[in-house]
Amino acid sequence: MIDPRSPRLGAGITAALLLITILLGIALDPAPGSGLLDRVLQPAFLLLTAISLLFLRGATAGVARHPYGLLFRALVRPRLGPPKELEDPRPPTFAQLVGFVVTAAGLVAAALGIPYAVPVAAGAAFVAAFLNAVFGYCIGCQLYLLLVRLRPTGRAA
Amino acid sequence: MDWIIASVVVVALVGATTAVGLLWRRRQGAASPLKHEEAPLATGDFGGTFDGAFGERATLVQFSTEFCSSCPGTRRVLSALAAEREGVAYLDVDVTHRADLVRRFSLLQTPTTLVLDRRGVVRTRIGGAVRRSVVIDRLEEFA
Repeated sequence: MIDPRSPRLGAGITAALLLITILLGIALDPAPGSGLLDRVLQPAFLLLTAISLLFLRGATAGVARHPYGLLFRALVRPRLGPPKELEDPRPPTFAQLVGFVVTAAGLVAAALGIPYAVPVAAGAAFVAAFLNAVFGYCIGCQLYLLLVRLRPTGRAA
Repeated sequence: MDWIIASVVVVALVGATTAVGLLWRRRQGAASPLKHEEAPLATGDFGGTFDGAFGERATLVQFSTEFCSSCPGTRRVLSALAAEREGVAYLDVDVTHRADLVRRFSLLQTPTTLVLDRRGVVRTRIGGAVRRSVVIDRLEEFA
């Protein structure tokens, strides 16, 4: 079980980084017809790559071992009171996977030359991260039920 | 010029997302009365998760998943309300592995709470973390 404020801090940092990505991505969108190297060396592309890798780290190693989780425990947690309750790490971990899929899709599309793919993907991820950080909205909790509904078998053992 | 456009987009995105968040928060825990009365439910409708009987006055049914952050808080509020009141039963249904129940009750989020009257008819549906006062109001209305 984890302190629920930890993933929210992480979501806040992620949301801020995604906003910078969007700003850079729109302002410096590569000209049509530019080469692959030009596109992937754009600051927005590089920043989104870093964010995407952090999502992958959270999804595979778990949010507790994510750098922001370590940051929370080292710097923030000692200054706060104990949490009201603890939370299962699976929803935020699932949300990290969703974040990775969305940002990775944007990176692939941008590498293929689709204009504004980086800011669009960053925008989608920003909405989820910002809602989580500011309002405590957990997109993983809702998507999980949708997945359950789509699953063909009636019940699992 | 591009920086101006980019800044406008960023500000608009933050504004729109904040509006969505405020709207979402306002609807969390709000009771939505049902437009038409449905047929009474039986304890068997909860797929074998209910081993008791409905309350003589009302029943609070909470749908939860194993990894739902506001389910424990809602469980505390509802079980305390049921314990304080004669004839009010409380049931927590774990739907983590129950796609049948998720579809049957069209669940879009957990916790989702149903307030049933003495006959087992759903009188209110509450999405998200419940507010104690909202549940009390609804219970006093018909139970």
